[in-house]
Amino acid sequence: MQAKVAANQKTGKSIDNAFASHFAKSMFLAVCGLVTLSFFGTRMFTHVDLNLYGYMVGTIIFIGGFFYRFIAWGERPPTKIFIKKGIKLLFRKSTPKTSVEHLATYNFIWNRGIYRWTQHILIGWGCILSCFVTFPLVFGWMYFTMDDNGYYSIIAMGIRVITVPANGIIANLSYNALNITAVMVIAGVCMALYRRLKNMQARAEQKFMYDFLPLYMLLLVSVTGLSLTFMNIFLRGAGQPAMSLIHQWSVIITLIYLPFGKLAHIPFRPMSVFARNYREHYAEQSMKGCKVCGDEFVSTEQSKDVVEVLGVNDIEFQTKEGHHLAEMCLPCRRKYRIAQFSGFPIHELKVKEANQNAKG
Amino acid sequence: MKKRLYLELENCIGCRSCLAACTQCGGHEERNRNYVYDVNPMVNRQTMPLMCLHCVNPACARSCPAQAIQIHETGAVLSALVEKCIGCQNCTIACPYGIPKFDTEQNLMYKCDLCIDRTKDSIPPMCASVCPSNTLQWLTDEEIENKKKQFNLDNGKWVTSIPYLEGETNVKVNLPGILQGITKLF
Repeated sequence: MQAKVAANQKTGKSIDNAFASHFAKSMFLAVCGLVTLSFFGTRMFTHVDLNLYGYMVGTIIFIGGFFYRFIAWGERPPTKIFIKKGIKLLFRKSTPKTSVEHLATYNFIWNRGIYRWTQHILIGWGCILSCFVTFPLVFGWMYFTMDDNGYYSIIAMGIRVITVPANGIIANLSYNALNITAVMVIAGVCMALYRRLKNMQARAEQKFMYDFLPLYMLLLVSVTGLSLTFMNIFLRGAGQPAMSLIHQWSVIITLIYLPFGKLAHIPFRPMSVFARNYREHYAEQSMKGCKVCGDEFVSTEQSKDVVEVLGVNDIEFQTKEGHHLAEMCLPCRRKYRIAQFSGFPIHELKVKEANQNAKG
Repeated sequence: MKKRLYLELENCIGCRSCLAACTQCGGHEERNRNYVYDVNPMVNRQTMPLMCLHCVNPACARSCPAQAIQIHETGAVLSALVEKCIGCQNCTIACPYGIPKFDTEQNLMYKCDLCIDRTKDSIPPMCASVCPSNTLQWLTDEEIENKKKQFNLDNGKWVTSIPYLEGETNVKVNLPGILQGITKLF
């Protein structure tokens, strides 16, 4: 009885109780946020572009899929640890640099090859820039007005940000922003498709649904988008209504599919900044020495976390010597296994690891 | 027919053909993912190969926060998906055999994927294809069963996996005769 009362008191305080689940809460907050932003952005709903309402509905469904996928993913024990500690370490000095390298310039992909880096920059930035244009337009956070005197105003969040000549460079860039990004994406996707046909590593593991479909969808979105421009300029708008529906359909399908396919790595990727911060921070705190040779090979915190995560999964790697296998450095752990196979404790012998790289 | 990688450890002559072959696999980008270790280098020349044993319940995949390590339908535990791997190196700490390698420059883990481009079509992995001493073999379960009979042991000591491994694995290991209490004749 007492326990019941205590439980009631405990739950009574939490705002989480108002919602049936994490999902419901996130969804509610996200939709409220969108509506609020649109309220201000469209000057109290006076500048809503209803031509784009399909995208609006599509985005809400996408957000539903997104929360479903990522809340489930965040519940995995290792993921939970990284998210929790990553948020705590977010304000490290190195965070801005790491974020730019991982999320904007993709230095690590450069190291995997210049070709792949080029295709990734083209697709990645093509998509990001398109999103920066499209979503504000859809939700009315940004719109354009034509002034009487041949000037053109860009209004963001209800504020007149910039007024430019209607045929100037900035105006032309903003009219053509989506055309430019479409060309970027088409070029990048073609490079990616070519790589998928030629590269042996890609050919070994790729699947249609996972690897090809997102590329085809991006291609479809870009080609139908560009053809809208083509129809406007060269065909005086002939076929525009049908094509705009096809374009809308392709965008919405891509959005809904996004959290479940390869493109899920886009919202996923900031985790790599968390991981880098986590490794750097705890390595500065204290390093773990190998139980056999004493070499420092990982931070104490990560070693502890991995042991804990494995424990949650009912995996216990206790050795006869009384420590966990995760407390040995990698060469010692390999030698330890050879010792189990051969009966001779090679891991205790102070000899250099024999040549393990097939370079002669 | 489903075949497995089967290791007869004491056959190893330390030629490192398997390492060289590993670099040449289509998906491996010229980096080998397996190891050859001396058993007691001060005393004799015996060596043993060590590679991913493709656990049925892989610790690397369990500890991966990004779900980057996928398990193929053949049971092979694949290398990290390049777009998902966030470079936390949990897998290298979790693996009971110390197999996954990490490329700091590329911020990417890579490991033995049992040459999945080959083995998914029942072609033996590169290491087993080149092994000159039958240390690494590519066998059906039935053939492994026959091997077991061939030794004709009554002492219950035939071991292809546990207790010298940490759990059930898809790669089967035949331990040296010395541990099984027999002398093997080939």
